[in-house]
Amino acid sequence: MATDEDLIGGVASGDPHALEELHRRYERPLYQFLYRHTGGRDADDLAQETWLRVVRAAHRFDRSRRFTTWLFQIALNLSRDWHRRAPPLPVGDGDVPGAAFQPDTAADGASGLGSTGATDAGLDARRLLAALPEAQRSVVVLRYFHDCSEDEVAEILGCPRGTVKSRMHHAMSRLTALAREGGERMP
Amino acid sequence: MNTGSECDDVRETLLFGRSLDARRARHLDACPACRDEHPVLVTLARTLAADAVPLPADAAVRLQRAAAPLLARNARRATWRSLVRVIGLALLPLPLVVALDAYLLRMAYAWLSAVLPDTLSLFLVLDYTALVALLLTLAYGAIPLLTERQLRLQREESYG
Repeated sequence: MATDEDLIGGVASGDPHALEELHRRYERPLYQFLYRHTGGRDADDLAQETWLRVVRAAHRFDRSRRFTTWLFQIALNLSRDWHRRAPPLPVGDGDVPGAAFQPDTAADGASGLGSTGATDAGLDARRLLAALPEAQRSVVVLRYFHDCSEDEVAEILGCPRGTVKSRMHHAMSRLTALAREGGERMP
Repeated sequence: MNTGSECDDVRETLLFGRSLDARRARHLDACPACRDEHPVLVTLARTLAADAVPLPADAAVRLQRAAAPLLARNARRATWRSLVRVIGLALLPLPLVVALDAYLLRMAYAWLSAVLPDTLSLFLVLDYTALVALLLTLAYGAIPLLTERQLRLQREESYG
């Protein structure tokens, strides 16, 4: 079976099958990463743009590095750009702490994609993540949902390992505080 | 004494929904702060684990369509790169081939003109020169075609 690095070499030589195979392997993790970063808004377009950037820059890929690290770096840069220019949420902005734990009685107006993963405790993963600052959210998403090690996260984010640890610490404190707040709001 | 990093380690393990080993379990028993956070972290872990992300249905098709021109450009770039390398290698022996041919032709002309009329010798030598030039042109002209074919076969063998 071809490795990711072989496949990206194939993409660099214009092979559509190599791109198809890479896309099959990483479509889900990449999409989930972007979806959780943007709360579902424009995740489709960002995922597509990430792949197009992969194709464009395939010949510059350093084969001594891991493909997934590179892929997530591209996705992260795109999602940062997106956050800089994204229009504000029409209702229930996740960045407003108080808005993070409104009972999920209506469909998610931001994403329009139905279920938001609410549990019986009335908490909602997507709103919890949205309530985190972008830097902390990246760490939680990569560590929790993508099983990346602290070193991998540090490489993707381009920061020291200690920063990853400290962001994870702050993210956990924030999440537990929000979870308590959310639990108290429940009837 | 419990350190902050021990607490973080235990809380992270709980948040990730993993089971605690003996060391972490001991820490949880001994640390009131972690014990206090335990139920919240378990709820959080459940909440995060329940987060399902739907996948777009036609992403692969859309990508193949959008990436087609970029892949074609990559293919052209890769072919050019290989071509330049192969032609560079093929050109290395050319001066030697030309020098050897020129030497052979001079020798042949000298020998032929000793036994045949000059005009006929010149005709035979020029005829041979044209033949050699034609063969060299054909050989070098085939390089791009062979390179492209080889690259295509390599791609088909690797991922086809």
